[in-house]
Amino acid sequence: MFRSLAALLLLSAAALADTSDGDALKGMTWEQVVDQARGGTVNWFMWGGSDTINAYVDGYVAERLKADYDITLNRVPITDAADIVNQVLTEKEAGVTDAGSVDLIWINGENFRSMKQADLAFCGYTAMLPNDGLVNWDNPAVANDFGVPVDGCEVPWNTVQFAFAHDSAKTPEPPADMAALLDWIKANPGRFTYPAPPDFTGSAFLRHVFIHAAGGPDSLLGPFDQAKFDEVSAKTWAILNEIEPSLWREGATYPTTVTQLNELFANGEVDFSFNYDPAQFGLAVEAGTWPDTTRSFGLSDGTIGNTNYTLIPFNSPNKAAAMVVQNLLLSGEAQLEKAKTEVWGAAPAIEIARTAPEVQSGFAAIKTHPSVIPASELAKAALPELQADWLTAIEKGWMETVGN
Amino acid sequence: MTDRSRIALMLAPALLVLGGLFLTGLGLTLLRSFRYMPALGLTEPDLAAYTAVLTAPGFLRSLGLSLWIATASTAIAALLAMAAALLLRQSFPGRALVSFLIQLNLTVPHIVGAIGMLYLVSQSGSFARLAKAAGLIAGPQDFPALTQDPWAIGIILLYVWKELPFITLILLANLQALGEDHEATARTLGATRWQAFAHVLLPLMLPGLMAASALVFAFAFGAYEVPLILGAHAPKALPVLAWQAANDTDLAARPEAMAMAVLIAGIGLVLLALYARAARSRHVD
Amino acid sequence: MSTSLRTLAALALMAFLILPLLPLAVWSLAQGWRFPDILPAELSTTAWAYALSPQSGVLESFGITTLIATATTLIAALVGLPAGRALGLYRFRGRGLVVLLLLAPAILPGIAVVFGLHGILLRAGLAGTVAGVILAHLVPVLPYMTLVLAAVFSRFDPTYEQQARTLGATPWQAFRTVTLPAILPGLLTAALFSFLVSWSQYLLTLAVGGGRVQTLPLLLYGFAAAGRNDLTAAIALLYILPGLLILALTARQITGRNTALVSGARP
Repeated sequence: MFRSLAALLLLSAAALADTSDGDALKGMTWEQVVDQARGGTVNWFMWGGSDTINAYVDGYVAERLKADYDITLNRVPITDAADIVNQVLTEKEAGVTDAGSVDLIWINGENFRSMKQADLAFCGYTAMLPNDGLVNWDNPAVANDFGVPVDGCEVPWNTVQFAFAHDSAKTPEPPADMAALLDWIKANPGRFTYPAPPDFTGSAFLRHVFIHAAGGPDSLLGPFDQAKFDEVSAKTWAILNEIEPSLWREGATYPTTVTQLNELFANGEVDFSFNYDPAQFGLAVEAGTWPDTTRSFGLSDGTIGNTNYTLIPFNSPNKAAAMVVQNLLLSGEAQLEKAKTEVWGAAPAIEIARTAPEVQSGFAAIKTHPSVIPASELAKAALPELQADWLTAIEKGWMETVGN
Repeated sequence: MTDRSRIALMLAPALLVLGGLFLTGLGLTLLRSFRYMPALGLTEPDLAAYTAVLTAPGFLRSLGLSLWIATASTAIAALLAMAAALLLRQSFPGRALVSFLIQLNLTVPHIVGAIGMLYLVSQSGSFARLAKAAGLIAGPQDFPALTQDPWAIGIILLYVWKELPFITLILLANLQALGEDHEATARTLGATRWQAFAHVLLPLMLPGLMAASALVFAFAFGAYEVPLILGAHAPKALPVLAWQAANDTDLAARPEAMAMAVLIAGIGLVLLALYARAARSRHVD
Repeated sequence: MSTSLRTLAALALMAFLILPLLPLAVWSLAQGWRFPDILPAELSTTAWAYALSPQSGVLESFGITTLIATATTLIAALVGLPAGRALGLYRFRGRGLVVLLLLAPAILPGIAVVFGLHGILLRAGLAGTVAGVILAHLVPVLPYMTLVLAAVFSRFDPTYEQQARTLGATPWQAFRTVTLPAILPGLLTAALFSFLVSWSQYLLTLAVGGGRVQTLPLLLYGFAAAGRNDLTAAIALLYILPGLLILALTARQITGRNTALVSGARP
């Protein structure tokens, strides 16, 4: 412990080889990058609320990095990736261009858009990673992050699809689609709520209602359209204001985070929770937080799916080592490890068919947690993610017209 | 070396640290609140951020909420602390334990207290469970909403819990320094117990009470982590709102966060003046 | 007030003071504890095992938090000693202003200072470092240390020092053998409370440390925000341990004699 304290005190001493110059790295071969990466330290900022995910990163990933590349992985737990975007932004504003504090971020959506817009991301290197070949970049849901082209600025890590959780002992027959869910809410006052945006998950729920109000996603794909937004949002606010008196605490207040919603669900105060990453349901049951009778479901009119990524900021001083971490995370073995139910249960971001035979059989042998709806089941009715500008407009409109 | 330069030398390190960090920090915040940020190409200071903040309904509601939280917490804590201090001056069984608990509470960080309070008084918390077991409520929805509630009751409860011991300790120290004599003298001169309290003890306690209350008010007004844990989604307590604006990825929101910080500092300065006055009349500074 | 009424009031006060800590103790041993269970169906030590495992980072965080609080206290004592002496022993022009400058950081809400402070430390290359966090913690800690020491020195008689000097003691000897023993009790109490003030900081550490300096309150909030009540409770209890320890060292019947304790306390 004291060694790590000393290391912290001596801050920059950890950076043996400064690899802040991204352009130089792009001119190297992968072997040269790995050489540069050896002995480096990577400060990886990621949501730290799940002990199982933490254990995967600190255990499997960190140990392999140390053994294979002599790279030290320093997982920095955070509660919101937006804080870290802001931190990099503040560093840029203060002229910190090659000694940033962040080497890697777990990110997607509006935070990615912000980083790309403000030129905060290291871009154009991802094809150098040997495991990049496992990624199906022809899939628009991978090549675009909430409609924003990835452009070699981030590397996919997981794919997720939104799902609902219910307690089969209390609500054996959950609603089948959005219309039925809205009817259910009105018929069961006080038993449903959703987190207020800007909560990530609450915002995703809003988009489901928004797409429902639009009669499907087709007219919403593509760049932001103010006229279309005005038309659909009017219907959306009408729906949400109509169900508001039937929500938990009569809609006078909303949970501020999905965690609060999870807590309400755990204590039977509401009958549904939901999450972008259905694997979380299984983890909550295993942690004893949720009842064993928890089950999950999608909607027949579809739920939104997306991909989440890892990104290297423009001012990371350890870019080579961060690239090696990204490459490792993308490998068939690492993706298989985190897909295991007892490890995390996360759906892979790579094409399983492109991996080695033993990895493929490993994936085939995985049995999903009974509380987690299999990804293949959910994928039968999937909705695309709207572009980030829609998302911002919906969140802002909600705060002004519904959640005020 | 003259006395003057010796004093200056002795004060220099402390003034350097506080001047360099605290005053410069405030100055930087002030500059940025006037939208003076050369790094972003903003070189024409203006008041746009203040206009934006003061005309946004969110800010005024948050300001109102924070003032309410601070006022209610301080008033309740001060009243209860007076009672507790008077109680602790007398002997009764368990006095040692109470004074231990009061000191224990002083050492517990706010964030721990807030989490404990959440587990205790939320609609599915320990009290709600006891109420359910006693058959008083059918489910969590029947239990009064004390957290994430419009009146910020959970937040106020937490501050009362945390600051009551603080004020009590200060009052006890003051009372101890005064001794029992004044009160006893008044009683022998024929004052009733109440008169002795109202005309002798209370005026003597008041400066200490005022000073402690100013500190408590300032803290309850400006603390971030307690409303973060116990507060509702809207309106947010002012510090939470300011922090959120400062972390907005939209750069335009940042000067607004700075303007909020400056306004909060302004209210803090008023409190500082009050405290300085109270402290002066207490001859402790 | 009759004795029974007094006892009743004391009982109510005791209950109020202890109640919010009880659910934490139970949660740290709970494996699934949902409404309407008054006690967990199953007790488990998983949370404690995880909190105490090197993997969770709690112990490392405990070390960093201790390091920061200790360093902050030491620096504050070194800087605060001469300043406290000047304020306690001398009347001089501008003294009121100095006192006001010392009071300001203690009274102004942290959120008012935190953005600018972060800006300064960022430019100094100290944001996101332990050293930067220590400097930031000095802002609320140093005023307390200085003001408490000023109160201590105002009761100190410097003629003893002069006597020692006339008897041939060097300034250092005079300080060590005369001044230090006289101010030691006050200095120690001030130090203990300075430690606690630094130990409890959340916002300053979050802003200046940028998540890279993971002190216990940050780690604690991370688990609370993720809804792991069992882990949160275990870490929360670990977090109040030093406070308990300090209390055990300083606790005595409240008599008011320990005024340094009170003047060092903060809300």
